[in-house]
Amino acid sequence: MNAFEARLEAELVRVVTERGEARARAWSRRPGLVERASGRLLRSPGLARALVTTPSLLLPWLIASAVVLGAGAAATLGTGRPLVALLAPAVAAAGIAYAYGPGIDPAWELSRSMAVSDRMVLLVRALGVFAVDAALGLAASAASGTAVGITFGWLVPMTAACALALAVATVARSANAGVAAGLAGWTIMVLSSQVADGQFTAAISNSALILPYLAFTAVCCVIALTATRAPRGTS
Amino acid sequence: MNVEIAGLTRRFGRTQAVAGVDLSAGPGVFGLLGPNGAGKTSLLRMMATVIPPSSGRLRLLGRDPGGYGPRREIRRRLGYLPQNLGYYPSFTVAEFVEYFALLKEMPSARVPAAVAAAIERTGLGDKARARLRTLSGGMLRRAGIAQAIVNEPELLLLDEPTAGLDPEQRVAFRALLRECGEHATVVVSTHLVEDVGAACSEVALMNQGRIVFHGTPAELIARADGTDAAGDAPLERGYSAVLAAARSAAGARA
Repeated sequence: MNAFEARLEAELVRVVTERGEARARAWSRRPGLVERASGRLLRSPGLARALVTTPSLLLPWLIASAVVLGAGAAATLGTGRPLVALLAPAVAAAGIAYAYGPGIDPAWELSRSMAVSDRMVLLVRALGVFAVDAALGLAASAASGTAVGITFGWLVPMTAACALALAVATVARSANAGVAAGLAGWTIMVLSSQVADGQFTAAISNSALILPYLAFTAVCCVIALTATRAPRGTS
Repeated sequence: MNVEIAGLTRRFGRTQAVAGVDLSAGPGVFGLLGPNGAGKTSLLRMMATVIPPSSGRLRLLGRDPGGYGPRREIRRRLGYLPQNLGYYPSFTVAEFVEYFALLKEMPSARVPAAVAAAIERTGLGDKARARLRTLSGGMLRRAGIAQAIVNEPELLLLDEPTAGLDPEQRVAFRALLRECGEHATVVVSTHLVEDVGAACSEVALMNQGRIVFHGTPAELIARADGTDAAGDAPLERGYSAVLAAARSAAGARA
């Protein structure tokens, strides 16, 4: 290669590089404040992106929110049965797993092949759903007193439980550890309030409730297994 | 070898989708041919770590995907285009490619340039800011290819990548395949034998969950010699001859 050809090649590389950089600048999206803060806290820009896109995936978000509000309504009815409140997060988790799982999420197959664990993505989805629902609940509570119970008895505490789960999962680098921590936090909160009210022993000792409790648990397990099952290939 | 497979099987209930596959592949473009239901997609999904094998040995990029740590390392170096590309309709092409670049744990600083390069390489430059819901089938396929190559993968798995592409786009795509195959292992599952002839250095043919041929495209063509196998092109005749032989052998065993 002579000097002219070398100069020509260098110039070509410069032009291509500058064009690429210009395109990258034009197409790149500046992450918002929430996404940047989440990225630092979660130590993963991918998880932060999954978190902020959660409500924009409208159909999964609507389905997940309907299940979350249904579970919350049952948990805050004040039946005097603490296992209803204890099992409510399982129902909500199953609903979120289904909504953002293979049945509804169109990009589930692709997500399964990503380095960021799909369980971690599911945890941030759960936080996203609860956080947005809690914000809506707070707004509704300000407008009317009817939403206060479910907002402060279910949505806000569960948002905190999800945040705790995500924090532990991030530090321990294990989604399972995060789920265990979140459930432990919620369980302690429910049992403390039941013990304080003197309702816990009465509900546990009622033998007529054991079969419904077991059936309910089995249904939750089946929903969760179905929702997270890998779909069958076509050939 | 970037792909080492021995005795790999996958069952779905009573159906044996992959029935004892042995395969190895290094850098280059590897074509996976076979009729519908042959097990190509199931094999590719196991290689993409989407589903685990029922039994057998699978090593990708020198690692065992059975463990969490190695699987994560493999996934960082993996590009995958599923047969049915799922996408978020409200995302733009650039947002879609960026989302998966981030989920592949690419360093944030590298992502904008990598996204731009992947979109340019797939010829979607003028559609980078278009919402996915507004794109044609061929453009969506190219957006899928862009997310697969955004991290410059060492192992690129493409399931029916040319479905929906017009002839001009297919020619450009084959050039892209050859370019990727210079440094990575590219496995392409396809029905189109002309894609294999134009881009692949090696080819395997699957039937009923098994590999019934593994060799070069020239060796596949040679399998048609002395037979009256059907087909309009030499590779098609080789494909038909191997498939007919495999089916008659399976019939004899039964």
